[in-house]
Amino acid sequence: MSPVPPANTEATSPEERSVAALRRKEALSRFALAGTLVFLCALFALTTHNHVFMKSTNLINVASQSAINTIIAVGMTFVIVTGGIDLSVGSIVGLAAVFSTGVMVGGLGFTIGQYRVDLLPQLPGVGGVLIGLGAGLTVGALAGLFNAMSIVRFRVTPFIATLAMMLIARGAGHLYSVEPIRGVPPAFIWIGQGRWLGIPIPVYLALTVVVIGWAVLSKTPFGRRVYAVGGNEEAARLSGIPVGRTKLLVYVASGLCAATAGTVLAAQLQAGDPKLGNAYELDAIAAAVLGGTSLMGGRGTILGTVLGALIIGVLDNGLTMLHVSSFAQMVIKGLVILGAVILDQARQRP
Amino acid sequence: MKAQRWMIQATIGVLAVLLLVCVGCVKKVEDTPAAPAAPVAGSSTEVGGEPVYRVGVTLLNREHKFYNVLEETLKTEGEARGMTVIIQDGDFDSIKQKNQIEDFIAQEVDAIVVCPVDSASIAGPISLANEAGIPVFTADIGADEGEVVAHIATDNVEGGRLAGEYLAELIGGKGKVVILDHPAVMSVQDRTKGFEEAIAEYPDIEIVDRPAADGVRDEAMARMQDMLVRHPDMAGVFAINDDTAMGALAAIRQSTSPPENLMMVGFDGTEEALAEIEKGCELKADIVQYPDEIGRSTIEAIYQYLRGELEWKPGDPTVVIPIAPKLVSADDLPLE
Repeated sequence: MSPVPPANTEATSPEERSVAALRRKEALSRFALAGTLVFLCALFALTTHNHVFMKSTNLINVASQSAINTIIAVGMTFVIVTGGIDLSVGSIVGLAAVFSTGVMVGGLGFTIGQYRVDLLPQLPGVGGVLIGLGAGLTVGALAGLFNAMSIVRFRVTPFIATLAMMLIARGAGHLYSVEPIRGVPPAFIWIGQGRWLGIPIPVYLALTVVVIGWAVLSKTPFGRRVYAVGGNEEAARLSGIPVGRTKLLVYVASGLCAATAGTVLAAQLQAGDPKLGNAYELDAIAAAVLGGTSLMGGRGTILGTVLGALIIGVLDNGLTMLHVSSFAQMVIKGLVILGAVILDQARQRP
Repeated sequence: MKAQRWMIQATIGVLAVLLLVCVGCVKKVEDTPAAPAAPVAGSSTEVGGEPVYRVGVTLLNREHKFYNVLEETLKTEGEARGMTVIIQDGDFDSIKQKNQIEDFIAQEVDAIVVCPVDSASIAGPISLANEAGIPVFTADIGADEGEVVAHIATDNVEGGRLAGEYLAELIGGKGKVVILDHPAVMSVQDRTKGFEEAIAEYPDIEIVDRPAADGVRDEAMARMQDMLVRHPDMAGVFAINDDTAMGALAAIRQSTSPPENLMMVGFDGTEEALAEIEKGCELKADIVQYPDEIGRSTIEAIYQYLRGELEWKPGDPTVVIPIAPKLVSADDLPLE
């Protein structure tokens, strides 16, 4: 336990003082994170050829490239704040990409003996797109529900439960279709490739997910329960918080976020490839952890995660612009994540 | 427990919705699909005086079209030579493949063909076959160790060279070229090696960048976006496989100001890439591999070896039989 700081403010109670100190520290680490982001941008702006890093087209690219990871990382933040982890998100990206486009292009059905059962019809135009998106998001939510069942009902540790789902979802995607699904309707492609006011649609989608995630985590009773479960699960249970239900919703949300990312990615690429999303769980965890989310649970913010995702996006883009070899990029990214977390922990110590 | 009740309700809800959707959309299918006849492995050793060779094959997988074609040719070509070809699916699993080879040894087949799941760990099973005196052939993917009579695979260096020569011609022998690379993979290193050799013939062409795109669409899209900003005046792109090419095309389509007359060459010859080439876009040509040629040459090599026409004895280096890939452009499409 932390030693009580010297009492220099007499009017406030120790609890109020420690809460204020925590707030101050959180704000400070957020500030340090934003500073890191600005520093990296300035560094790349100065060092890249003709300062191409700062070109508006490139900054829009960085935003668009970070959008996918941001969407996944928002869901991941909820999971990590409860003290869990979700390793299945990358596979859910691939599964949702191939399944949503598959349903969009060919409907959904199966044959038993002589009978053909159509679960979902294949509709032309926007109707088909909506059915496909619904199917993709549903499969992501179901994967999350499955994770939650294993974790809450059967007491499997989140690491193992979602590791299993990582295999299940990746395999299921390939069983559904090994070949990428092509011929998706233009209305769907617009989601990935369209622009509004010069900004790609995926950036707006990521912003929407961020705003919803931020509002739910920091402004609702549910959000407070998420922190309570991660802070001290037993205490949360004893104080009447529905721990199981909270965890269930968190994993469903993570599955939904991953599925959203998968459909957006498929729209950008105009094809649903079951191979998509390989190792995305690592980038999402890195974004959350860079953003100050504690893997022990109970601590983390959506804003921090967004900054974390942007730092990773800026590093990927900037280092490529500087011709840094892909192997050196891995080393640098690893060191940056490690350094940021060590600094963050040093700040957290009183 | 409250949480459990909640979960059960959620599950029932989902199932109920699915059921509702099902009801009313059940209709009769016109014709019942017939079950395909199960392949029968032959067992006789002699037909009309000619020996019937039995060949055991373990494939990398049955998911890729490449391997479906390879399997089909091995079977038909083998049977045309009076061989009995027993084909197993390694299913990306080294242990499974090891068991399959052990089964082949127990069945005392005359030759074994392996498309290794893992070039390193196949050494053990191959040495078991060597001890049993059964000749081993590798197709498509090689083995790091073990006595292998012949290795039959696409010549990736030649493929890269074809891509380089064609791209150089397309861009008029000058300009900036980008390779969308995947340096961690051996066969890709061969492709880029051949490409660089071809480009080296043109002093006015410069390979300005080669970001790693991991051979997958999503990464290729992001790295191509970067390249479009970094080298807005680039003339050509070499995509080391077709997934990379498809990702790069998506990046070009999203770009507000793509370079004019950008030319790209891909590798693999997937149906999807060939359709894009035929339709007309930045992807101008593709290097096409021939799994049927690999299958035919494998059977030929086995046949020759078993009849003593192919000279090889244990201790000799593996006979390498490269299968030349071909370049396919819009002029050659549609194929056949």
